[in-house]
Amino acid sequence: MAYKSLCSERFFNEFYVTHIQAASNFAYYKSGDQSASLDLAQEGFIKVWENCSKIDILKAKSYLFTIINNLFLNTIKHQKVVFTYAKNSPYLDVDNQSPEYLLEEEEFKDKLKSAILELTEKERSVFLMHRIDGKKYKEIAVLLEISQKAVEKRMSAALKKLRIKIDGI
Amino acid sequence: MEENNDFLKWINGESSDKELVRLKEKENFKTLEKIAHYSSQIATPKIDIAHALKALEVKKKKTVNSGKLILFRTKRLYKYAAAVVLLFTSVYYLTLNSETTLKTEFAQRQRFNLPDNSEVILNANSEISYTKEDWNRTRNISLNGEAYFKVQKGEKFTVQTTLGDISVLGTQFNVKKRAHYFEVKTYEGLVRVHYKNTFIELPKGAVFKVINGVIDLNTTFNIQRKTWLQKESNFKSTPLQFVLEEIENQFDCTIETKNINLSTLYSGGFSHGDLNIALQSVTIPLQLSYEIKGKKITLYNYVR
Repeated sequence: MAYKSLCSERFFNEFYVTHIQAASNFAYYKSGDQSASLDLAQEGFIKVWENCSKIDILKAKSYLFTIINNLFLNTIKHQKVVFTYAKNSPYLDVDNQSPEYLLEEEEFKDKLKSAILELTEKERSVFLMHRIDGKKYKEIAVLLEISQKAVEKRMSAALKKLRIKIDGI
Repeated sequence: MEENNDFLKWINGESSDKELVRLKEKENFKTLEKIAHYSSQIATPKIDIAHALKALEVKKKKTVNSGKLILFRTKRLYKYAAAVVLLFTSVYYLTLNSETTLKTEFAQRQRFNLPDNSEVILNANSEISYTKEDWNRTRNISLNGEAYFKVQKGEKFTVQTTLGDISVLGTQFNVKKRAHYFEVKTYEGLVRVHYKNTFIELPKGAVFKVINGVIDLNTTFNIQRKTWLQKESNFKSTPLQFVLEEIENQFDCTIETKNINLSTLYSGGFSHGDLNIALQSVTIPLQLSYEIKGKKITLYNYVR
């Protein structure tokens, strides 16, 4: 094969392995539903496979994310969103182990969690793709097929809402 | 607002040392720091990739991909090839090359998939036929009526009509062939039209139209509108006669006219939902009246 094609089993699998976690995460940020997120991502990859010859390889990632977004909008619109923290994750100040500090931090985490749930699904997915997947604004913009400015706007709106909600100002 | 921008920069790891010092003095920076820290600790469902890939393979089997690549190990194939060829030729001549015909009736619209997954959407009162067995070598299809084609890449794809031929490699286009009316519209790619002795290459957005033997190449159309695919028929400077024929096709009725000039040019369209509305969209601009009796419609000049 002179060029890589998504129709080739090997290349498609490579593409799958590279992106399945991020795709499933994205579905999770949108839906907040543990079991549905993998299904949405799988469905997205099936669509990529079905249309393998029509998709520009350079745009395959954005295509995948767009499809997942659409699938999400079509299926689980009004799901109750749930998020949890990873177990045993460190506090911000690792040296401070005073019970008072720990309690304070746990309270903060609860507030943060409920504040994240109150973000719009667009703001939330941008914010979490940035925080959890460690993606830069630019990468997010490419994946969602929006401008970097738009990503920054969503991120900024998310930060503002979170701060207001947590600090209560 | 400026503060917000600083935060945006900081969280993306773009702040300079100087800016950082300034930021740290701010009171609400503590909150931001905590938001940044704890938000990244939210757990996402961990995917067992190998397992998930296997599950996907199962799903994939149920679907057809649009351009699957098959690699042959040629050397090993030779010995089987001879046997297979012999078998196939005998089967081929025994069963003969059968022709497949697909057809729509009046007021009907249907979508078909061709053997290579190319798509055909047939408008009302139209018919296509092709030979399945030959399909991979010669993609030839004959058409009478109107159809929209979405062609997969591959060998030359030819649509034959009694008025002209259209050939392409992989694209989207619409062919309308009715009595004395022939029209090709390109929605994507490049389409080659062979009409009598002329060959014309038709780019995206262009229309090739022949009415009563007169070629019109000067019109364009909006590719966003797929007209009859969206249950609407649209015309641009088209003789009334062909517009009425289209109404007959779409609503399964017959139209008679009284003292009307059938070559009057009509620009506009009608939707396929309601016969009355459709008739009004055509008659009102041309100052005509109509009368419906069962399946028979009479058009006459508007009388004050």
